[in-house]
Amino acid sequence: MENSFDIREFSRQALAAAQAAGISPAETTLSMSESFSVRVREGKMEDYKVCDHFRLTLRGRWQGRIGTASTQAVDEESLVMLIQGVKESAELIETDEQDDILPPDAHYSAVCNYSEDVNAVSAEDKIALAMRIDARLSAQDARIKPDACVVSSASETYALCNTLGLDLSHCSNMIYAYASCLAKEDGQAATGFKLLWGYSMEDVDAIQIADGCIADALEKLGAGRLTSGARSAVIRGSAMADLLSTFSGVFSADNAQKGMSLLAGREGETIASACVTLTDDPLMPWGLSSCPFDREGAATISKNVIERGTLTTLLHNRKTAKKAGVSTTGNAAGSGRVAPSNFYIRPGSASQQALLESMENGLLITELSGLHAGANPISGDFSLLARGFEIAGGKPVRAVEQFTVAGNFFSLLQDITAVADDLRFEGSPIGSPSVAVRQLNIAGE
Amino acid sequence: MLSKSICQSVLARALRGGGTFAEIFFEDTRSFGLTLRSGVIENAAVSRPRGAGVRIYDGLRSIYVYTCDVSEAGLLRAADRAAAAVTDTKGTGRDVVLHEKTFTDMHPVSLPTLSVSAKRRAGVLRDADRAARAVDSRISQVTCGLLSREQHVLIANSEGLYTGDTRTYTRLTCSAVASSGAENQTGMEGPGALMGFELFETRVDPADAGAKAAKTAVTMLDAPYVSAGEMPVVIAGGFGGVIFHEACGHSLEATSVEPGMSEFAGRLGETIAAPCVTAIDDGTMKNEWGSGNIDDEGNPTTRLVLIENGVLKNYMIDRLNGLKMGMAPTGSGRRESYAYAPTSRMRNTYIAAGQDDEQEMIRTMGDGLYAAQMGGGSVNPATGEFNFSVREGYLVRDGKIASPVRGASLIGRGSEILMRIDRVGREMTMGQGMCGSSSGSVPTNVGQPTIRVSRLTVGGK
Repeated sequence: MENSFDIREFSRQALAAAQAAGISPAETTLSMSESFSVRVREGKMEDYKVCDHFRLTLRGRWQGRIGTASTQAVDEESLVMLIQGVKESAELIETDEQDDILPPDAHYSAVCNYSEDVNAVSAEDKIALAMRIDARLSAQDARIKPDACVVSSASETYALCNTLGLDLSHCSNMIYAYASCLAKEDGQAATGFKLLWGYSMEDVDAIQIADGCIADALEKLGAGRLTSGARSAVIRGSAMADLLSTFSGVFSADNAQKGMSLLAGREGETIASACVTLTDDPLMPWGLSSCPFDREGAATISKNVIERGTLTTLLHNRKTAKKAGVSTTGNAAGSGRVAPSNFYIRPGSASQQALLESMENGLLITELSGLHAGANPISGDFSLLARGFEIAGGKPVRAVEQFTVAGNFFSLLQDITAVADDLRFEGSPIGSPSVAVRQLNIAGE
Repeated sequence: MLSKSICQSVLARALRGGGTFAEIFFEDTRSFGLTLRSGVIENAAVSRPRGAGVRIYDGLRSIYVYTCDVSEAGLLRAADRAAAAVTDTKGTGRDVVLHEKTFTDMHPVSLPTLSVSAKRRAGVLRDADRAARAVDSRISQVTCGLLSREQHVLIANSEGLYTGDTRTYTRLTCSAVASSGAENQTGMEGPGALMGFELFETRVDPADAGAKAAKTAVTMLDAPYVSAGEMPVVIAGGFGGVIFHEACGHSLEATSVEPGMSEFAGRLGETIAAPCVTAIDDGTMKNEWGSGNIDDEGNPTTRLVLIENGVLKNYMIDRLNGLKMGMAPTGSGRRESYAYAPTSRMRNTYIAAGQDDEQEMIRTMGDGLYAAQMGGGSVNPATGEFNFSVREGYLVRDGKIASPVRGASLIGRGSEILMRIDRVGREMTMGQGMCGSSSGSVPTNVGQPTIRVSRLTVGGK
């Protein structure tokens, strides 16, 4: 990168130029990131990637509205473009619902998701780790064909600065590694995947990744099909997290106020089973989305969005909060939008095994595919390709695939009968333990 | 843009410690987004993504370094960082001499969007919004977006290539919500092209797009859930082509074929589809959403027959996978931006027009599903397992379209569905999408005439 001093200096210049042009107040957001990634397949390094990246966004009030423009180029032309862009944008916008530009809050909590241990790992160490995962993947089982072993690290600095005295900055980093493979047997093929992430080499253990990847592929072999009909199910935590992530927008007050969420005006109502508590925790130590401030510089706070089945609050920025007559929850995501941070269903006390035993007969759903297309956050409907295991007498009896699971997210929340103790964040700030569900509609043969 | 001499010194620097090939991809882009929601312009923002990526082939390994610092010093630093990773030190210290290569612009732009007044641009969104709201009083929300992007690229490589292109994209998106109070349903339209604002004078009526999105939403609000099971399915043209894109297209990209992670790897010359299926990937179609003069490796785009009368003819191949496979690249190397190394990608991919009558295919299908509008989908190329959502579906009873149904999804395996296509209609139409893969999100067209699949698993309640 042009050293970060130049970019920060450019950011200051942009703020000064905005003020000189009559744009006031004005605010810059600066995102600077660096990453490294290496991919190994069958003993050979195939890809080696190094990136540095920045993006400067200028926002400011002009003729009563707040306009926005951004650039990745540090030059005079950009400075002119930013000022003109903010003015044009402000002249086009017809609503006050932009994120406001305000002085700093009185207090910000401290939270850490940056470790010097990540920086201490050399490129050679990361390559060696990818090689170890690949070697382990190749040596275990003749049915396994290794696909890719990837080790990557990334760091990001996010800085928010305005003409009203706000000057905030937060650094985060992480390291992650994953393996993917193909298992083949008797003309059947299945893919396996395992990812671990954290803040030091100890968090990304080669053996756990390789063995997890192989186990994931092998357990899918020999899968049969299901007949159509309604069944009880336990949804594995990773699949439930995918579903929660797809539907996370329904908890946005911005969506609710614009008729895009069926949760509008339902605060205080029971919207989920009593065993469901849903938490948004931007102050989670070592959380992937942890940050003491949101995208409009408001202090972030931890809160339950659903508490034992009751919708306690939607997620707000300052504008949506003002409209609703409440305080911001510190969830401004930029461009007037609202989004969760570290967002998860609180774990219960029973194991996944105990959930299967009390269900006795039904399905364990391990994977849901096509969420970007087959799930609709506005209606809550989903109809998704799934795979998993048939459960009889509380035990998996055979792998099943090529069936769909259909339902409605809002009904599903009400139909959860138990929450397991196995909460994990699988490379995403949105997590869930496994949950038992009264009934899901299955389409198969 | 970068001068020839800077590119020469950066490429020479990249290869100073070895490596067989080096490339610079530079872009300077202007992007303008405009959003209208709740009847008012809600967001308007201009942005300028700019940066460069330096790629080296170290044997068959790809080394990629990208940066936003495109000063000569910044690019040399990127070249140094890439060169530091090279292990094969044979043939060090090559000189690079560049020759400028120009192309005839096959996709002319007559009205650059950024030259059109802001008021006129906003007018497109207002027309779409008004038409959508006029469809039915139960339309509770309409979101319309106008995306204009002008990407200037420069590509230079150690084989002497020095070339550039400007890609101008314009797209309108309309999303309508119909609400009964307790239930919501949605409809979407997203027409776009590789052209400027003349899109709205020559190809797209914004009011038409808004009204279509609203009609789907209202139709689905009145529809019961589809009942699940296996049945024959007729899929309408246009965005219906997403089924070929997912079920087969991704599995024919060298990215999946080369490592053997595709169910169609090693099957050139074999029959992989029913004889009525001919499929084409064409990057040369004039001003189409997935077209271009050159790909992101500087090769001219091509028209590529993928499947001819059921027989697998070609894969889509980028330069590096071409080297690994011992096959020529097909002008299919694409990337979202400088932040990605290119790989083989689809462009405008479609099932070609056939001989069958659209009415006959429904009349003779018995009981089944008519998918009038498809949503998106995804595929696992290694196993061929795909899934799609049906945005607007109708139940067919005894050869007649009976009633709308909601919540349908289609699942199966690519190799199976291709063999089960038993009718291909006479008129091919296309729809626009953004396709995501390892080199990011790129504009692609999907297309087909109306087709019939003899048996598919339909998911629903």
